[in-house]
Amino acid sequence: MNEAPSAPLVRVRGLKMHFPVHAGLLRRHVGDIKAVDDISLDVNESETLGLVGESGCGKSTAGRAVLRLYDITDGSITIDGTDISNIDQDKLRHLRPKMQMIFQDPQASLNPRMTVAGIVGEPLVEHMSLSKNERLDRIYELMDAVGLARSFANRYPHEFSGGQRQRIGIARALALHPKFIVCDEPIAALDVSIQAQVVNLLEDLQERFGLTYLFISHDLSMVRHIADRVAVMYLGKIVELAPRDELYATPLHPYTQALLSAVPEPDPVRESQRKHIILTGDVPSPANAPVGCNFCTRCPKAEDICRQIDPEFREVAPGHFTACHFVTDTTRKTAGSTAGNEANT
Amino acid sequence: MLGALAAVAIAPPALAERGSDGHVNIIYWQAPSTMNPYLSGGTKELEAASLVLEPLARYDQDGNMVPWLAESVPTVDNGGVSADLKTITWKLKEGLVWSDGSAVTSADVIFSWKYCTDPEGGCAQSEKYNDVADVKAVDDRTVTVTFGVAKPFPYGPFVGAQAPIIQAAQFADCLGAKAPECTDANFGPIGTGPFKVTEFRPNDVISFEANSNYRDPAKPAFATVTFKGGGDTAAAGRAVLETGEFDYAWNMQLAPDVLAAMASKGKGQVVSAFGTLVERIMINLTNPDPALGDERATAKHPHPFLSDPAVRQALSMAVDRELLVEIGYGDAGRPTCNVLPAPEIYKSTANDGCMAQDVEGAKKLLDDAGWVPGADGVRQKEGVRLSMLYQTSTNAVRQDFQALIKQWWADIGIETELRNIDASVFFGGDPGSPDTFQKFYADIEMYANNFDGTDPESYMANWECKQAPTPETQWQGNNMPRYCSEDYDALVAQMAQTGKLEERAKLAKAMNDKLMQEYIIVPLVDRGRVSAHSNTLGGVVLNVWDSELWNIADWNRMK
Amino acid sequence: MLTYTIRRLLLAIPTLIAISLIIFLLLDLAPSDPTANLPLTIPPDVREKIRQSLGLGDPIYIRYLLWCKQFFVNEPLNMLEQWFGWDIGGDRLRVLSWQTRSPVVDLIVQRMPQTLWVVGMSYVVGVLIALPIGIISAYRQYSWFDQVGTFVSMVGFSVPTFFTGVLVIVIFSVWLGWFPSIYDTTHQVTDWQSFLFQIKQMIMPVAVLALFNAAQISRFMRASMLDNLNQDYVRTARAKGMRERTVVLVHVLRNSLIPVVTVIALGVPQIFGGAIITEQVFKVNGLGQLLIISIQGGDLPTVQTLTFIFAVLIILFNLVADVLYGVLDPRIRYD
Repeated sequence: MNEAPSAPLVRVRGLKMHFPVHAGLLRRHVGDIKAVDDISLDVNESETLGLVGESGCGKSTAGRAVLRLYDITDGSITIDGTDISNIDQDKLRHLRPKMQMIFQDPQASLNPRMTVAGIVGEPLVEHMSLSKNERLDRIYELMDAVGLARSFANRYPHEFSGGQRQRIGIARALALHPKFIVCDEPIAALDVSIQAQVVNLLEDLQERFGLTYLFISHDLSMVRHIADRVAVMYLGKIVELAPRDELYATPLHPYTQALLSAVPEPDPVRESQRKHIILTGDVPSPANAPVGCNFCTRCPKAEDICRQIDPEFREVAPGHFTACHFVTDTTRKTAGSTAGNEANT
Repeated sequence: MLGALAAVAIAPPALAERGSDGHVNIIYWQAPSTMNPYLSGGTKELEAASLVLEPLARYDQDGNMVPWLAESVPTVDNGGVSADLKTITWKLKEGLVWSDGSAVTSADVIFSWKYCTDPEGGCAQSEKYNDVADVKAVDDRTVTVTFGVAKPFPYGPFVGAQAPIIQAAQFADCLGAKAPECTDANFGPIGTGPFKVTEFRPNDVISFEANSNYRDPAKPAFATVTFKGGGDTAAAGRAVLETGEFDYAWNMQLAPDVLAAMASKGKGQVVSAFGTLVERIMINLTNPDPALGDERATAKHPHPFLSDPAVRQALSMAVDRELLVEIGYGDAGRPTCNVLPAPEIYKSTANDGCMAQDVEGAKKLLDDAGWVPGADGVRQKEGVRLSMLYQTSTNAVRQDFQALIKQWWADIGIETELRNIDASVFFGGDPGSPDTFQKFYADIEMYANNFDGTDPESYMANWECKQAPTPETQWQGNNMPRYCSEDYDALVAQMAQTGKLEERAKLAKAMNDKLMQEYIIVPLVDRGRVSAHSNTLGGVVLNVWDSELWNIADWNRMK
Repeated sequence: MLTYTIRRLLLAIPTLIAISLIIFLLLDLAPSDPTANLPLTIPPDVREKIRQSLGLGDPIYIRYLLWCKQFFVNEPLNMLEQWFGWDIGGDRLRVLSWQTRSPVVDLIVQRMPQTLWVVGMSYVVGVLIALPIGIISAYRQYSWFDQVGTFVSMVGFSVPTFFTGVLVIVIFSVWLGWFPSIYDTTHQVTDWQSFLFQIKQMIMPVAVLALFNAAQISRFMRASMLDNLNQDYVRTARAKGMRERTVVLVHVLRNSLIPVVTVIALGVPQIFGGAIITEQVFKVNGLGQLLIISIQGGDLPTVQTLTFIFAVLIILFNLVADVLYGVLDPRIRYD
């Protein structure tokens, strides 16, 4: 499981997404918001890569940038062997069927003036030449797959509940037989009771259609449930990336440690024994990131070096990457073995 | 006979054929709302209606009466007016027909009187029929109007654009309260005039075509007329003088330079004619000193220096009337030395010496009268300084005039303080306000005034002694200078008993000359009416005494 | 929707009656005298007689009820008679204008064509140019096109039509001599030539008014587009791999049009109100000019009838706007 297949489905290298800031009378370019600042990751076929982080850390931007919903600032993105980092939107359009996205807010992301059949069927019109009946069949098929009654086909999004709307969004994403789906906080806007249903549906579909997910969420427990590997983002950068169990068992980066310590433990005894790491201060603005390590302003272990040199994002154990000056070889060895043990159990 | 002569005099070169000159476009920047002049007193309605409806007699451009539907103008001399000045007998021309072909008879004349005098009709011209006791038909073509009192000027009924003859057959069911319900008749009256209405759009446009039954077979030269209304003065001027879309525009009340710039385009010309409106300076013969309390500005206290005729004359001599006209009115004004400048028969020539400014003469006059310049340059005599308050209404042209005149008077050593008062207060006549032109709490005041029609009898009576505004009359009255002369009052009384036109003219001129030569009133500018017409439109004779379109039958297209 | 519409229409009746009373009272209380514009040479006693003959001597409630009877009973009956050739009989007094002494309704009917032609056309033209400008401005926000569009809208909105109107007359009528400066209301379109003339005489007033209308509507369109361009469903459409044209024209535009269409519908009564100033400048002499002349002339029956008809139209088009909203936006249902 730790052995990565030779060619990952999605390969991202040095991805940067900067938004220019204009100000003043003449709207001069005065700086950039570095929403995503040099991230690299691979997503293997049929796996789920979880991408976690606080809100505003750039994880949604990263997800959209990977699908080239933005024109990226720098870096390369290769999906299924095609480099899409710089191709124009028209060519990209023809590649869209392969890569789809499920959005956070199912209400806002569905056109209020289109019926379910319209929403699900629109990509079919655009990308496939189907007869009217074939298209309708496909729409029904998709609605069946996500668990929507066929009779809903002519209703408008506002007539549905949140969970049902997200199912419409999923059906819509599945319409063109995608390989890769970016799930951008797909359950954040849903009731807790519905969340599990939707996550189970996503897992189901992954199994049935061999899908690959980039699962973006701030919910660490949910990511633990669904992801195979997990990447942690802080202020536009990935600070740690590791197989799920290894990450949850032996987090190496102080930020990951702080995040995980904040997840409540269901067992009150263990909860009381746990050491909570409380982060102080606010996340710095991505328009004005600190010099050195991005996390240095809030890191409990920060020293002078952190405020001067940006730590390298390096592999400290097989499949375990992190960006921290204090992750030494020792830690690396122990961490590596622990991870191995856990993965083998 | 006089009428026939007049008709020949104004006829265009012969050989004209009815309708041969096509179409003529007229623009009035106020749109007529009805074609029935009896239901609206507005000038625009009167003038539009004058293409269709005609009176028995009307006034020409000089203010002389010319017979129109009547054979002649009745006078005492020709026996048409009775010696006691109580009846007048009109005789219609022979063979007159309405545009529908039926004959015009004395019944139509009588009906017109009945129509306008019906108490429920709300006739706007009922003033014209004042004192008419009865109108009787003598025969089919002859009517006699009987007045309840002696009328030295019996030409109110059936004369001028305000009192035309309407067809009895058409308006028979429209008397009194029913008048407004006869929309078709009010919008398309059948008339005797050169044109008849083909379409009337109230407050917008009227289309006319030549009346095939018009009494002169060669007229009118134009087959059709469009009479467009609405917009503003400048736009109407532009349409005639700059773009040439229209042939005739009425009442061009524009600044002289604006009008001149438009006329310089060479498409049309500006024509003006002068009525009786005179911009004048009134001299207060009584003392307006506030210290006099209730007796301020009353005849009890003569003015300390304006009661000296030499001073009054000097004021008049120092004024350059030509320059005032040029600055304030351009083509719409001309200098005048008479308070009664028109009609032609009433116009005196005895005072024309005032036309030229004479500063030196004025100085000499004052010197001779003993008014000598003091240390500050202001003339004085026995401790009385020639220092005056000069008031008028708020109005850009009037303030220009004030400034100029103040300078001229300063040149001859008279000091002037200026004051202007909002027109609604100045002319408002409120006895409680100290600022009305009747109270005249100033030494000098300036405004314009005129009279309706051509007969100056009541206008000249304004300067009778008893017309002076006083506290006893609630400050009502028109004799602003508080002029009081037995001789003058005698002339007024004499005119009220004189029927012969020439005699009346002599009396009116005498009164005018008396006022002018005693310098009670200093006339400045005779303000006229200005219209514009295309260079290709011939036959226009601007007339301020009647409808401007009075002779439209003679209009033609110049080749 | 039908029951909703009917309910709204029923509710409009008491509203309109109240409006008619308020208009009547306001007009009556305002200082105005139908004889004020007559020459000063007409003496006061004659003026008083004229006022009496217009019915001004009656108490105010009698005059109001008389107007109501004339407008709500006599005029409709008269119309029925005219349309269907019936003879209902009876002597019915119509609402008469004081200025022209003719039925107000006839005046309105007479003025309608030129107002609809000129003001209506300017509204249509204004909308037709406003929509693309608004769409492109929003899509290319802050581009030079947007900047120019914003500037033109600002000019169109803030420079009054009495200025632009006279300006185009001076340029195109006086200097260039292309178009007539005075509108011919009697002109009838019968063939190609007369149609061309109609176009020529309409161009300037329509252009001036269209600029004004377009300025307003293009701003609305732009704002509404901007609102929707950043919506999630637009990103969804892009993620679906839809063409940019489809994204903008189908997804964004259709949603952005909902508020714009209602604004356009609410503006329709203004067409019937005419454009008082533009009609005066170009001498179109439509309903706007009729209203202003009537106000100046103290012609209360005409002012009352016209303003009341405007009130009816405003209420009607408010309802139309609401119903349209319901038709266009599936989220809104009136039941």
